[in-house]
Formats: sequence, C-alpha cells, structure tokens
Amino acid sequence: MSSRIEEHPILGVQEKGRKVTFTCDGKAVEGYEGEPIATALKAAGIMVHRYTKKEHKPRGIFCAIGRCTDCVMIVDGKPNVRTCVTPLKEGMVVNTQYGVSAEPFEKQ
Amino acid sequence: MSMKRYDLIIVGAGPSGLSAAIEAARRGLKVVVFDENEKPGGQLFKQIHKFFGSKEHKAKVRGFVIGQQLLQEAAELGVEVVLNATVVGMYMDKEIVVKMGEEVHHFKGDSILIATGAAENMVTFDGWTLPGVIGAGAAQTMMNLHGIKPGSKILMLGSGNVGLVVSYQLLQAGCEVVALVDAAPRVGGYGVHAAKVARCGVPFYLSHTIMKAEGTECVTGVTIAQVDSHFKFIPGTEKHFDVDTICLAVGLSPMSQLLKMAGCEMEDNPRRGGQVPICDEYGETSIKGLFVAGDVSGIEEASSAMIEGRIAGIAAAYYLGYIDKEELDAKYQENQAALAGLRQGMFAPENRGKLVEKTEEGIDVSMNLLEKGFIAEDEIERFPGVTHTKGIHPVIECSQNIPCNPCQDACPKHCIKIGSHITALPAVDENVECVGCGMCVASCSGQAIFLVQEDYEPGYGTVTLPYEFLPLPQKGDKGFGLDRSGKKVCEAEVVQVRTSPAFDHTNLLTIKVPSDMVMKARFYKAE
Repeated sequence: MSSRIEEHPILGVQEKGRKVTFTCDGKAVEGYEGEPIATALKAAGIMVHRYTKKEHKPRGIFCAIGRCTDCVMIVDGKPNVRTCVTPLKEGMVVNTQYGVSAEPFEKQ
Repeated sequence: MSMKRYDLIIVGAGPSGLSAAIEAARRGLKVVVFDENEKPGGQLFKQIHKFFGSKEHKAKVRGFVIGQQLLQEAAELGVEVVLNATVVGMYMDKEIVVKMGEEVHHFKGDSILIATGAAENMVTFDGWTLPGVIGAGAAQTMMNLHGIKPGSKILMLGSGNVGLVVSYQLLQAGCEVVALVDAAPRVGGYGVHAAKVARCGVPFYLSHTIMKAEGTECVTGVTIAQVDSHFKFIPGTEKHFDVDTICLAVGLSPMSQLLKMAGCEMEDNPRRGGQVPICDEYGETSIKGLFVAGDVSGIEEASSAMIEGRIAGIAAAYYLGYIDKEELDAKYQENQAALAGLRQGMFAPENRGKLVEKTEEGIDVSMNLLEKGFIAEDEIERFPGVTHTKGIHPVIECSQNIPCNPCQDACPKHCIKIGSHITALPAVDENVECVGCGMCVASCSGQAIFLVQEDYEPGYGTVTLPYEFLPLPQKGDKGFGLDRSGKKVCEAEVVQVRTSPAFDHTNLLTIKVPSDMVMKARFYKAE
C-alpha cells in the first residue's frame, strides 16, 4: 500500500511535479520532481537514511524541516545533504551514508 | 563594501513576521523578510484546521488559508520576501549576515524584527533515535505539505494542542492512531480538540509515557507504562502496541539564539517556554529598534503571534518616525484589546499547568474530558449549550472557557449566545426556533456542535455531525453510531450528507439512530 495521500479531505488532490526516476543505493526509485528526496524515499518504503559514525546506529526522517540533520545522505557524491529539504531531480544518485561515507563500514 | 539598507528587516516569514511586514509596509517602510525555508508562511501552511478566536481575527479560517491571505497582502504592499535565506548572525548597529546558497550577504536595518518562532522539544527513551520516531511537526510537514503519510500505525506522545491537532490530522490523512499518551495526569490542550480525536476511537493514556521504542533498523513497536506523581514508571503497568511510527508532541522552545547573539537582555522563563528576550508591550527588546513577536518571545499560538506582529510592525513605524504617537497609541490599544481577549479563559498563560475546576459560569468542568479525552454521559447535561426540545436543535458540547465565538454569528436565527465576553460558554436560546441549516456545526472550529432531532420518526432520531474524512459516506449508507469514546453504540443510517462552500470542507452528516441514542452517538463509522 502506498503511503502517498491520493486525495485529502481538506486539501483535495495535491499537485505534484512530473514523475522522475532516481537511484537509491543503485536501485531505481520513482518520485515526483521538486518534492523533498526524503518524501520520495518514504513513498518507496525506505526508512534508513544513514548510520552514525561511532555507533553505527540507523537514522531516518526526524524533524522534516532541515533542522536536525538526521536524514542526511550522500546525494550525487556529496555527503551530509539534508534530504528532507532538498528537491528531487531526475537521475539523482542517492546513497545511504555510513558515517560520512557512501562505503559501508566493513569496507571503510 | 556596500551594504543594502532597509527600514525594517524581519527574520522569519511566519504569521508574526508577515503581519509585522504588512503593518510596517502599509505605513511606508521599506521592508524585507528573510526566511530560511523554501516556502514562506512558517507553520501556517501545515495548519489545516479552522482557527479559534473571534471573527475579527480570522477565527474559523483554516491556517493555510490565513497564510495565503497574509502572503498576498504582503505582496500587494511591496514587501520583499527572500527565501532560502538563513540569517546566521546579528551584530552591533543592526547589521545582519544572511547565508543564501553558498554566499554570505550583509544587510543593515534601521529597525529589525526577530520572528523566528520556535523549535520542537524532544524527549529521550530507549530507541528514540530509531527511524520512525518523528516530531509532530515532521508529521504535519509530511502529510500536509508533501502529501505523504508519516506512517500507518502511529502512537502520539503529548496531549497539548499540537498532539491533539496532529493526531486528528493523521486520522484525516488515513493513518491509524493507536493511542494518545501523556505523562501528565490531564489533557493539556483544548477539550474540544481531544473530544474529536476520542470519538474516532483513539484511546487516551494520561499519566503514561513511553518506556521504549522497539525495532533494530526502524520502529516496529512501542511500550508505554503508567507513571506515578513523580513521573516514575509503575512496574506491571506496561502496555505494548505494534506501531511503525512514534510521534512526539512535547512542547516548543523559542528560537531566540539570534537575540542572545545580538546582546539582548534575556531571561529563562519556563512560562514562556525557555530562553526569551525581555521586551516591552510593543515587543521592543533592551536594544532600541530591535523588536520581537510571536513564539520567539514566548510560546503561544498563531492567532496571538499575528497580533504581536502587527503591534511590533506599527511600533517599528513609530520608532523610525513614520507615524506619530497618537497613531501608535490608537493602534496599540486596538490590538492589545484583541490580544488580551485571546489570553483569557482556562488556557490563559497564568493558568498553564493548573487544574481549573469550575468554568467562569461556576459549572464543574468535565474531569472525564481531562482524563479520557471526552465528556462522560453523566457530565454532558450540565453545560449551557446542551438542551432538549422538540424538533431539530443544536447541542453544543463546548465545556471549557476558551476565547472563541464564531458560533454565535453563524446562526442566522441567533439562537446561540456567547455575549460580549469571548470566553463564555455558548448557550442555546430555546425561544428561538432552529431551522436546521447546520451553519453552527460547520463554523465550530472545535467541531463541538451537533444538530439533534429526538423525534425524527417513531422510535428514531437524528444526529447531524461535522465530518472531515474521506471517503464521504453517501445517503442510504448503513453503519454504526460511535459514542464520545469512539465505541460502537448503535446501528446508524446516513439520511443526509451536506457539503457547501460555506461549510469550508466540513461536511454535515446526518445519521438516523434509535431515539435513546441521540445524546450518545457522536460519530459515524461505515460497516
């Protein structure tokens, strides 16, 4: 079941940008252009955005307004990108962030 | 280095910042508003419920519509709103530093208004960092701005207005709210907000809090337990819920860092939510020409933030000589009266945390409402809006003195009376005949008004209730009547569904129920 709200009792049908494809950890994921990357990931059921450097604990969306930095990921090779406030673009390459790297800890 | 200069620089394009911008620009000031977000409006665009208050101050208008109105007004007056612009510093002589993209710019304001609002508080418990534990603000952002459900099964921690309102919005978005939990012994927010969540079947657990969030990669469950009067867990009271999301609504703190940086005199005031600047009645801080408005100067809500913004905008105009003392005084008096009105009643700042046992009218408050989220059957009859009469008539389940009065103007027959004291409980004038138009039902921001007809047909009566969910039931549908606690109490048939632009997305559902259920059934659930 999709977590997208098709029609809302107060807001009606929310306008979306065009459908685009991007990748997350190498897998193709669909989302809408201009929405936060985190929204597209949430719709795809992806909960873990990164693992912390010291304790390797998972983190995901927490504040959703760009304050807490829990949801940062590696986007187009750049680490620490706040996915909750970064608009999605066609072809973006998004990777889970391990510490500050795209490499899982066992390969670091 | 050249530095751009403005009469008034405002930091924060939320309700108070925009209101101040409008008042100042109207008086001829050159105004700029900086906001770190991609979109203006602060939290207004996430507020999809109808606001409380008086008609003069946008009561019964939904928050996001107020946001649109403020933005339009500001644009018409030539206010410059700069987005994706984070104010990172404020220095001597009202100079500010703004980060835009990868660049840093300097600006000089002859006056400055800080309207940065507040940040959410958090609580910690085992597992609180797991993906799936989110702030209530995050939930609102996800569902109301980005059109995505924050989760499918959700536990809400916090029974203040944010926790209650967001719980209801989660239900509207199609999520299941498995429980509303608060360590406090009583519901913190408006009873009417609690009641509309409770009648949808959400159980309230007061004097309970979260022990742990379960899961390894993300939340798969939660355990709550009862706490004693010292907020210590009581062993043996643990309860488990399968959830994928835990939502935290545990208060707000002023985002006052810029003011501290600029050297304003500050105080730590728990009643205002934390570190706040010391300011006068116009919102002017210890630094002349530096003003504050809204949550940054003390946590309240958007309606009062807008009025504080208006006062500060006018005061900035006076400070810079755009208006005389007479205009300042006149406008201040007018806005101050409105602000004082909003700060009355059971939820007035001086009553924060206190148990108010009687209403202004001397009626015992509903303790069940405070402890369970709904008014008990043996309590409901004592409130002045609850009457019995032949034919169709309103039943107003408004039991707390809150500053709100749209219902008295909604009735074309004037059968609802609040009077000039805005916090008075609405009373029904039984000498005026109700025509059953439903305007009162749709106008009540607390969704606390029902139309009841005890003698619809032999053995049956009807209840007309506000309904803001999808799918909208159709005439002829059969289902169940739920009582105030959300429990199924009878079979119910939908006999009328009314929608109208005047109702602003609050649909009126009329259900036929057995006569002895007209004072019990308060919600409808399809089979």
